[in-house]
Amino acid sequence: MNFIQPDKHTRRAFLRRSGQLAFTGAALPLAMNLAAFGEAAAFNATDYKALVCIFLYGGNDHYNTIVPYDTTNYDLYNKIRGGGGASNSIALDQANLQRTLLKPTVALPDDRQFAFHSDVVLNAYGQPITKEMSGLTGLFNSGKAAALFNVGPLVVPMTRADYNNRDRYRYPLPPKLFSHNDQQSLWQSSSPEGSSEGWGGKIGDLALGSNSNSAFTCISITGNAVYLSGERAQSYQVSKNGSVKIKSLDESTVYDSTAVKNVLRDLVMEGRTNILENEYNIVTKRQVNSGQRVNDAIGKFPANTAPFNTIPGTNLGDQLKMAARLIAGRNDLGTKRQVFFVSMGGFDTHGDLRGSHAELMRQVSEVMTGFYNATTALGVANNVTAFTASDFGRTLVNNGNGSDHGWGGHHLIVGGAVKGAAFYGTPPPLSITDSSDANDQWHVGSGRLLPSTSMDQYAATLAKWFGAADTELNGVLPNLSNFGSSAYPRDLGFMS
Amino acid sequence: MRSSSYATWLNKQMEAPTSKTAVQWLYDSGYGDVKDYSYYYNTYPVEFAVWKDLMSAPDAVRKRVALALSEILVVSMNGPSMKTWNSFSFANYWDILNKNALGNYRQLLDDVTMSATMGLFLNITDSQKEDPASGRLPDENYAREIMQLFTIGLYELNNDGSLSPNSTSPKETYTQDDVTNLARVFTGWVQDGSAKWVQVPGGWYEPPIENNIRPLVLNNDRHSFKAVTFLGKTINQNTPGKDALKAALDHLFNHKNVGPFIGKQLIQRLVTSNPSPAYVNRVANAFNNNGSGVRGDMKAVISAILLDDEARNLTNLTNSSFGKLREPMLRLVQWARTFGATSKAGTWKMLSTSDPALSLGQSPFSAPSVFNFFRPGYIPPNTALAKSKSTAPEFQLVNETTVGGYLNYMQDVIEKGVNCPDPKDRHLKFFGYDWKFERDIVATYAKELALLGNAATPAIATAEATALVNRINLLMCGGQISAATQSKMVSALTSPPLNTSSTQRQREQRVWSAVLMTMACPEYLVQK
Repeated sequence: MNFIQPDKHTRRAFLRRSGQLAFTGAALPLAMNLAAFGEAAAFNATDYKALVCIFLYGGNDHYNTIVPYDTTNYDLYNKIRGGGGASNSIALDQANLQRTLLKPTVALPDDRQFAFHSDVVLNAYGQPITKEMSGLTGLFNSGKAAALFNVGPLVVPMTRADYNNRDRYRYPLPPKLFSHNDQQSLWQSSSPEGSSEGWGGKIGDLALGSNSNSAFTCISITGNAVYLSGERAQSYQVSKNGSVKIKSLDESTVYDSTAVKNVLRDLVMEGRTNILENEYNIVTKRQVNSGQRVNDAIGKFPANTAPFNTIPGTNLGDQLKMAARLIAGRNDLGTKRQVFFVSMGGFDTHGDLRGSHAELMRQVSEVMTGFYNATTALGVANNVTAFTASDFGRTLVNNGNGSDHGWGGHHLIVGGAVKGAAFYGTPPPLSITDSSDANDQWHVGSGRLLPSTSMDQYAATLAKWFGAADTELNGVLPNLSNFGSSAYPRDLGFMS
Repeated sequence: MRSSSYATWLNKQMEAPTSKTAVQWLYDSGYGDVKDYSYYYNTYPVEFAVWKDLMSAPDAVRKRVALALSEILVVSMNGPSMKTWNSFSFANYWDILNKNALGNYRQLLDDVTMSATMGLFLNITDSQKEDPASGRLPDENYAREIMQLFTIGLYELNNDGSLSPNSTSPKETYTQDDVTNLARVFTGWVQDGSAKWVQVPGGWYEPPIENNIRPLVLNNDRHSFKAVTFLGKTINQNTPGKDALKAALDHLFNHKNVGPFIGKQLIQRLVTSNPSPAYVNRVANAFNNNGSGVRGDMKAVISAILLDDEARNLTNLTNSSFGKLREPMLRLVQWARTFGATSKAGTWKMLSTSDPALSLGQSPFSAPSVFNFFRPGYIPPNTALAKSKSTAPEFQLVNETTVGGYLNYMQDVIEKGVNCPDPKDRHLKFFGYDWKFERDIVATYAKELALLGNAATPAIATAEATALVNRINLLMCGGQISAATQSKMVSALTSPPLNTSSTQRQREQRVWSAVLMTMACPEYLVQK
């Protein structure tokens, strides 16, 4: 089953044509006056906005992230996840969840309530220690964070009956469900592994003209991923400590020789006939051309000064610390619209769910809260929106000490422009049986959620806030045109 | 005649006896000593063992294939760790890959599935039979990944690796239902805990090394005896666990996908990122039948890969889309082997090279997940490869940080060697405890320096520099560096030329420069 082909939108056609001009892959250096070509300019932003995608690799257990709290639903959750005995239960204790109870401005229907993760686990010395998402609870309840229920890749709106229906032409499924690498790619680019354009890069394409140096539009502070690659926009990688200065190209000599330094510089940046050789050198050239500018920009905002030093020093924390410094240095970088990509691994909790997930959730909460506070101190809290994404959610069923691959999951959006203290999407019923009961229509077995909101709608809502016009969203998200009914709105409403 | 002499040489290489196992080396080095808690709580000793093997073991082909297999049947030190003796767990897994690298793939599947290392990494040892009372189901991780990554992949394949029946309507190999069924087969397999726990100086007891290196054993109380139906095969209910496991692994091994799925990935690891379907077909045929009716003969597969015309035909040297980017950790290994860099102290205390900004961004057994450092289907975005939809897996490690990290690391190591913590002392302190680094894995470049002896006149100095560049070109990339590039390098080495009053250090600097220029240039980086 093929994904429906993207519209041959005028924006994309124009960008593709202009792409022919720069075959070396270097980004357009100057703001292009697209209106001069008879096309509507994407956006000429005067204010600053940044999207920060926080990808949780492995498939985050959403059931233990945003946890049923009201008695009816907690009991169902506890019965299913309890595992029949305390020793291998993956259900969190309700008593702890009291501290992380979420208080939306408007209560959910049917008296449903939810809490963020909170648990008491054993530390390395065997002592009990509380790990919970206290920071994000505070942000949610004060209106700076929102939660989106049951979101995941869909080609078309789909019920359980549609899922069971064998007519895959009328009811197409996303490809390669439950496969880590393909679902990661699907979330980032609407296409499975092998994809070369992500939606973060495509909204970057629209924003290139807003930045005086388009090279810094899309910045990754983690390993290679397709998310930030657009047709023109390219992912620029910065390490947690800044841009790597290449000694041999930067200093005046190599092993005391100027001649060697000069030849080396030629060899690592020259164009080559062999395609692989050429592409490798292009990356080095990009680093040499842009690295110093990055380091100059962030050099004014050292990591060990406020507000950056309040972001916890974990792997994810260090990445967001660098993002904060880059945001602080935006004027020097000449950027008004940026998309960042950071990530954290370890979420594939088939085993030791309680212990490992507790630490993951604690870190995510502390880091996202620290990052939000840093943006507040920098005066850009309303201009920066961070959001989570993951391969998939997980099964509700307990496999003995963990959960297995799922599909739909819950996610979080944090920032001053977020309409927080609110839930979006539809909270799913809790069931694992295979019946025609209403409660069994929202999972596809073992509590694997059938998404009631598509990842395209999630992305479209963020892209719209970022500045993409409604007519441009279909080009960014190929499946978006299959949605738009009142049950699957293009704008989920969580951004102000 | 020429091709039979390559085959003869390769055969001889493949028959080279295996050196000491990694587990044995750990024991012999004292890292099994229970009196030192830094040994049973640290994983570093296996890093030493693996680097030693990669850089110095005499059976280089076996080691190379084992490393390639470690990128397909992946376990990673970034995953969960054994409570104690984690180093022995990974050493044993490395030994399993080596034992079977030039053996048979079916045996490899057995040994990998029954290893405590894989048991922990993909949750086999956690997995128990279904429990209707609580709703608990078997853990599905290994069942899914053994199909997706270790045997058949996601889609039906023709023998030449192309999608079957065709690429517009590919057919999935397995469904969620197959995964749920197959998961039952792996339930109940647990670590062999029959060896006695060892008492440590503090007085308490810790699990022994044997738990981490013996094959898993079956606990029938945890095993599911429900019937299993997967991929068209039924294993009847109440089949003894050992028989069910054999039947399941046999069924996977005999699937027509395995030859092209595994064969193509091995071609990608060893020769080129985008092999022609015909090449894949020839290699898959060797997997399917080694010529004597045996399926899964690794020697036949490796020979088919390395001796194939597509691998050795000189026209591919100028084929602009042929080749593969050398993996960063392999570039370092090649440096060590080419220039005889070994551990001066004999302790090989070399640590991870995973840091992307300060080191190579890649290290053995340190992939971020079971999906390895890079995907077989990775297409680098915003490149000419994306336009032609060509895969280049190793490019998943290439970005603005890693290209710089690599050059900086090599510039330092070429001159000074690899920094090791307290190399003269086998004893291992805990991380951060007053480590004193010394350069221990050092190249002396004796043969290269010998080429720069005379330099009586500028013409002689130029000839010597040319000989130096030729030698390094030949040893490191089979002479594939073009004349134009060589001439640039020679001119750099002779501006100014050495002369009779040049110091030893100045000669050394010329050698380091030649090595760095070679290891930095794209003609070396892309193996053809």
